[in-house]
Order: sequence, then structure tokens, then C-alpha cells
Amino acid sequence: MRGPIVSLYLFSLIFLSCKDTDQPTGSFDRKPLLEHYASRVILPAFRELELKTGSFRSQVDAFLSDPSSQRLEELRSSWYEAALSWQSANCFNFGPAGESGLKKSLVEEIGTFPTDTALIGQFIDANDTLLNNFDRDTRGFFAIEYLLFRSNALVQLQSDDSARSYLRAITAHLYNNVAGVVQAWEGGYSSTFLVSAGTDAGSSTAALYNEFVRSFEQAKNFKVGLPAGKRPGQTQAEPFLVEGYFSGFSLPLLEQHLKNLEFVYWGKDITGLKDGPGLRDYLQAVVGGADLVVASDAQWQLVLEALEQIPDDRPLSAMMAENNLAIERLHTELQKHTRFYKSEMSSLLGIAITYASGDGD
Amino acid sequence: MPVVTEINLWNHNQLEVMNSSASLFQRIRRWLSVPEPNAALVTLRLVFGAAMTFSVLRFWYLGWIEDHFVDVPFTFKYYGFSWVKLLPSWGMYALHFFMLLGALGILLGWWYRISAIVFFVTFTYVELIDLTYYLNHYYFVSLVGFWMIWVPANQRFSLDVYFNSGIRSLEAPRWTIEVFKWQVGLVYLYAGLAKINYTWLVEAMPLRIWLPASNSLPLIGPLLEYSWVPYFFSWAGMIFDCSIVFLLSYSSTRLIGYVALLFFHGVTGWLFQIGIFPLVMTGMVLVFFSNSWHNRLLSWLGEVKRPVLLPVSTSIISRPFSIFLGAYFLFQVLFPWRYLLYPGNLFWTEEGYRFSWRVMLMEKAGTALFFVKDRETGREGVVDNAVFLAPHQEKQMAMQPDMIVQYAHFLAQHYREKGVQDPAVRAEVYVTLNGQPGQLLVDPMVDLTQINDSWAPKTWLLQHNGTRK
Repeated sequence: MRGPIVSLYLFSLIFLSCKDTDQPTGSFDRKPLLEHYASRVILPAFRELELKTGSFRSQVDAFLSDPSSQRLEELRSSWYEAALSWQSANCFNFGPAGESGLKKSLVEEIGTFPTDTALIGQFIDANDTLLNNFDRDTRGFFAIEYLLFRSNALVQLQSDDSARSYLRAITAHLYNNVAGVVQAWEGGYSSTFLVSAGTDAGSSTAALYNEFVRSFEQAKNFKVGLPAGKRPGQTQAEPFLVEGYFSGFSLPLLEQHLKNLEFVYWGKDITGLKDGPGLRDYLQAVVGGADLVVASDAQWQLVLEALEQIPDDRPLSAMMAENNLAIERLHTELQKHTRFYKSEMSSLLGIAITYASGDGD
Repeated sequence: MPVVTEINLWNHNQLEVMNSSASLFQRIRRWLSVPEPNAALVTLRLVFGAAMTFSVLRFWYLGWIEDHFVDVPFTFKYYGFSWVKLLPSWGMYALHFFMLLGALGILLGWWYRISAIVFFVTFTYVELIDLTYYLNHYYFVSLVGFWMIWVPANQRFSLDVYFNSGIRSLEAPRWTIEVFKWQVGLVYLYAGLAKINYTWLVEAMPLRIWLPASNSLPLIGPLLEYSWVPYFFSWAGMIFDCSIVFLLSYSSTRLIGYVALLFFHGVTGWLFQIGIFPLVMTGMVLVFFSNSWHNRLLSWLGEVKRPVLLPVSTSIISRPFSIFLGAYFLFQVLFPWRYLLYPGNLFWTEEGYRFSWRVMLMEKAGTALFFVKDRETGREGVVDNAVFLAPHQEKQMAMQPDMIVQYAHFLAQHYREKGVQDPAVRAEVYVTLNGQPGQLLVDPMVDLTQINDSWAPKTWLLQHNGTRK
């Protein structure tokens, strides 16, 4: 038994000599963090979305009873408001907004783009408003956008009964999906979310974090990279793949998405107000976190600068078509930022990346 | 007919004194062949069979057959085993079904040898399908499964004996029990030696990252936030791994050793997502327990004492078999040290990292961006890894050089078929090791399609600054 005693002695020597008190101990209470996200960040974002989609639904009813061009303008701006508020809620695809059974996550159910306009045309021609299929690219925000913003939208909606029915159906679908999530959060899910305060796969911190990263990657890959033709095998830009192609609101939607990711990282609410702990504070509290926050913030600054450089005098899709260097730069800066969110943050926080990762050893 | 129970009819010393002038090799062979009470072997069979049955059922129940092996566009190959292919969905389920039958056969001692072969083959095949799922404890299970084929662990308390009492025996050659002791001993000892390094002992990394992450656990959670706790766990873990085999080997320290082991595996199993590993090891170390303990266990489990009809074999293990046995353990002892032949930081390059019982030794993660260039047009695009890889595969690939090369080759092939002319693939891989800021792992200018992975040092890797080998 001399080995252990000698080792314990060595150990206590090292322990006593390690009085670097300025080193964070890694102690961080995730309970208040989760409480803050639930009550001040996530739920308000979903409530705002419910409000905006609800008022959009009323506007749809108003328009359908009086399909004038002025009403259409009002409807379009109401859609834009709702689509903007969606950008503040599109990264919380877990819990009631996550996948369950045949239902996909909220972002897939109501945020899929590009839309399959041909298939939408078929459903309208067949007067099929049941939405009883898995073609998620025929409903949600961007199917509605297509109906409202396509070149002959007013004429179509004035003349085609079944186009109007389809608009009503997918508007109800949109609102119901959002309302269902709000209801679940206000019901039992909040407490479920708070109880699971670990960092393992399936914990609330892991869910929040993983969906945050996934949302970042979606913005980078599908709102910028893919339509700009940055994938291997693409021989040119494919501008019609942007989010918000028909409305031309791609850039403000993207800006809102990225701004919201920044808010979520900080733990700010949808108005940018911060009154509780966020992921960034959590990171500050763990070993190596301070350095990462500095590096990550610096890179994010470059992302924002690149975003600012993108001209807003014409739609994003038009700029992609002309291979605008500002978009290329934004894409590059977003890529450079990926590692901070994707691997370095999870590594320092000890968060499990996947459910299905099997066992470690 | 006399009922033989615990009485040992065989004079153990007979073989050993037979010929004192024999060569060393012969004496070793004789020593290995001496009949020993086989109760420990029977316990091992029960423990291993039960743990594997549970393990396969758990894997199935958790939906991991589906997650790991169904609709997978790309699997990472083991060096030399690229012939091991993913089977279609039904084939993967069939493999696991036979694996389950094999495990049950081992547990029940029913068609024992065939069951052991079936288990070993199916389990090892499944493990070899995708390198990203490599785990030391899967490797361990494969090795134990292999030895299970060769040992007569079904000669007591088994359905084989129930149906054919002629094979019942109370003894087995010494080597059949020793191989498991050596194998288990190597695992702990090498896991312990691997912990003797600056990062683990002086920086208490990666436990300084991992332990606070578990601070929401009941009871010990708050304790994990104290800065001395990771140091304590690091040192205690190292001392435990290095000494446990010796503690278990002597009857005077066995009990305290096993209590320590239960505590160690209990805590690590609770803190970390390590699946059935603690359970398997907690059972496998029983091989170090005394024969009388095993006999009591078997009686407690309800073994019916029956007459032994089979005369104990006096034969000595064959020359080829003993050479094989020697070569096997020589390999086991030497292979983990191959990392010494490579320059650079082992944790960074991972050259010689696997198959060496380095468990829970580092916190490492990376983000890998792959750029595929059409050399005809000069157009370069960046890959969305999620198109081809499951999150787990991507996570593992993004920090392990050999996987990065394999994936790059796959991408080249894939995009060649998609019409990219003469593709070049380069990768920007930022890796963070033990909480340090991320650094480039691979030279981002190197065309990875020109690299062929081999045992040679990987000169296309960038060295890690500021850490010691």
C-alpha cells in the first residue's frame, strides 16, 4: 500500500501548488440559464410568432372577403412581419417544436424553402386542401409567400377559388403549428425543459445548443452557400434557392436570422434586451472559455461587417446571380465562424452532440 | 456410481514434476496445461453471455441498429478491412439477431462453441463496418469473444451438459483461465499507464472540463465544481487502473480491490456516457476470484452436482497453439507502444492511438470544412458534411486524420461521378484539444486525394503547438 500513499502525497503537493485562483472553477448553474431561456427568450419568441401569424391569418380572411390590390399589399406586409418574427423563433426546434413521429420539426413544417411551385399548382388545380402528404415544400411561410408574391398573384387570387382555398388552408396550418408549440410550452413542457438540467444527450442544454448550431448551419448553407453556388458540383449560382425568393425579402430575413442567433448566444430576448445568463456567460465560466469568447466575438464581428457590406438596393437573388463578391465574403466569414459554435463551444461545455452517438469509452 | 463434487481427482503436481529436465518452452507449455478447477471459467461464460445478451438487446431497443447502419451513405473503413461492407437493412438486423442468439448460446452454454463462433463473427463484423464507432470496449469484447471460442466454458452448469452429461468436467487447462486474466490485466494496466502524462496528472485535463459539466447530478454534482476534485479523480483513476490487477490477484487485498472497482466503475458509469463498459468489466474481473468463491456462486445459482464422467485430460497444449498464444500476447503487449515510433503529439495526430486501451483520455473536437475543386474549371465548392455523414460520424471524422483522408477520397469519387472534372479535395480542419483554442490539424493546402493513408507518419499534418508528447 506504499504506492498509493506516495501518490497521495505527490497529489497533495501538486494540489497545494495549484493556487491559480484566477482560473475559473468551471462552476456554472445551468438551472437559471434554462429558466432564463425558457421564460425570457424562447417563449416570448414563440408568442410573438403566434401573434404575428395570428394577425396574418385575420388579414388573409380580410383579403379573401375583399381581394383588392390594396388588401393584397396589406397582406404582403403582414406576411413580412410574420416571416421576420419567424426568424427569431426558427432555432428552437426541440421539445414541442422538435420531431415526433410523422411530424417533422417546426422549421421543416413551416419554414421549408425553396417551394415546389409546380406541386402547389397541382394541389390547387385538384382543389386539394387537405395537406395530407409529406410535401412540406408546398406549405408553410414560403408556399404562402409564393401565392402572395408571384408575378400574377392578384389575378390568380381574384380569379381562382381553389387558390384562395389553398391559401386559407396553408395559413391555418401555419398558425396551428405555431399555436400548438406555444400551447405545449405554456403547458407541461416548460417544467420538462427545466428539469433536464444536465449536459448529456437529451438534456435541455444539449437540445438548445444543438439546435442553435443547426440553425447557424442552415443560415450559412441554405440561405447563402447553396443559392450562391458554393457547393461542389454546382457550376453556377442558383438564386431561386434563396429563402424569400418571390418577395425579394431574402436579405432582411437573413439579417434577422443572424441577428437572432447572436441574441440567443448572448441570452438576449427578441428585442435585444439582456437580463439573464446566456450561453456566452456559461462559456465565460468554464476552463478555456474566456479565450474562446474573445476569438468567437472577433470572428462574429467580421460576419456582421460582411453582412453590412451587402448592398440592399436589389434582392439577394439578383446579387447571387451576378456572383457578388460581398456574398462570397459573407459566406467565407460564416464558414470561419463555424468551428467556434460547432466544435469548440461544445467541447468546452462538455455538451453531448448527438442522441444516437452510441457509447463513448 | 460415486458422486464427484468438489474433490479434485487429479494430482496437479504430476504434470509439473514429470520431467524437470525439459526445455523452458516445454515447461511453459506444461504449466499452461495443468488442469485447474474450471468454476471461474463457467462464471466468465455466464457473465459474458449475460452482458452481451443485455448489450445486444439494449442496442436494438435504443434504435441504434437503425441509427448506425440503415440509410448510411458512407462508412469509414478499418485499415485492411475495407471488404467489410454495410449490409442492407434486413441484413443488419439479421446480423444482430444472430449476435443475440450467439450471446444467449454462450449464456446458456447451449451449442456452446458454435454460439461463441457466431457471436464473435457477427459482433466483430458489425464493429468493423464503421471506424467512427470504434470503442476500446468493443475491441475488448471482440477479443474476449475470440477466446470464448477456444475454451471449454460449457463443461459445467450448461445446457450442453444437461443434454450430454458426458462432457461434464470440473477442470480445464490452466491457460483457459489465464488468458482472461492476462487480457483483463492488460486493459487496466495500459489504461493506467496511459494516464501517466503531464496533461492528465498536472493539468487534470480533460476531467477539469468533464466533471463540472456533470454538476447537476444529485449528491455528487455540487462536489464536482470544486477545483481540487478533477485532480483527485485524475490521480485516483491513474492509481486505480495501475494497481487494480495486483489488488485483485492476492486474496488479502481482493475484497478492498473489488470494492474500489465497484466504486470506480460505478462513478464513471454514472458520470459519463460509457454504456455497458462498467458492467462488462465489473463482471469480467471476477476471473481473479478464488475457486471456492466461484463454486459458491454456481451453487447459489442452482448448479446441480452431477457425477463427472469425463477423465481429465493429461495432454499438453500443442506446439503451434502455444506459439499462437505467445504471439497473441506479445502483440497485445507491444502494439500499444507503436506510438513511440511516430513523431509529434500522440493526442494530436492519433498515430498509434487506437487498440491501446487509451480510454477517456482527452477532450477533443473539430470542425472540418472540405473544399472540392474542379481542376478543369477552377471552381471550388464547400461540402455540407451533413449530406453524407451522421452527426456522430462527422464529429469523429473531424478530429482523426485517417478518417479525414478516407472521407476526402470518398468526396473526390462522389463528385467525380457528379461531373466535377479531376477533383482536388482540401480540408480546413480546426481542432480543439483539452480546451485549448482550435488549431489547424491538416495542412489546408494539401490535396488529400494525393494522400494514401498508411502506417507511415502523416507528414501532411500540422504539429500541435504548446503541448508536450
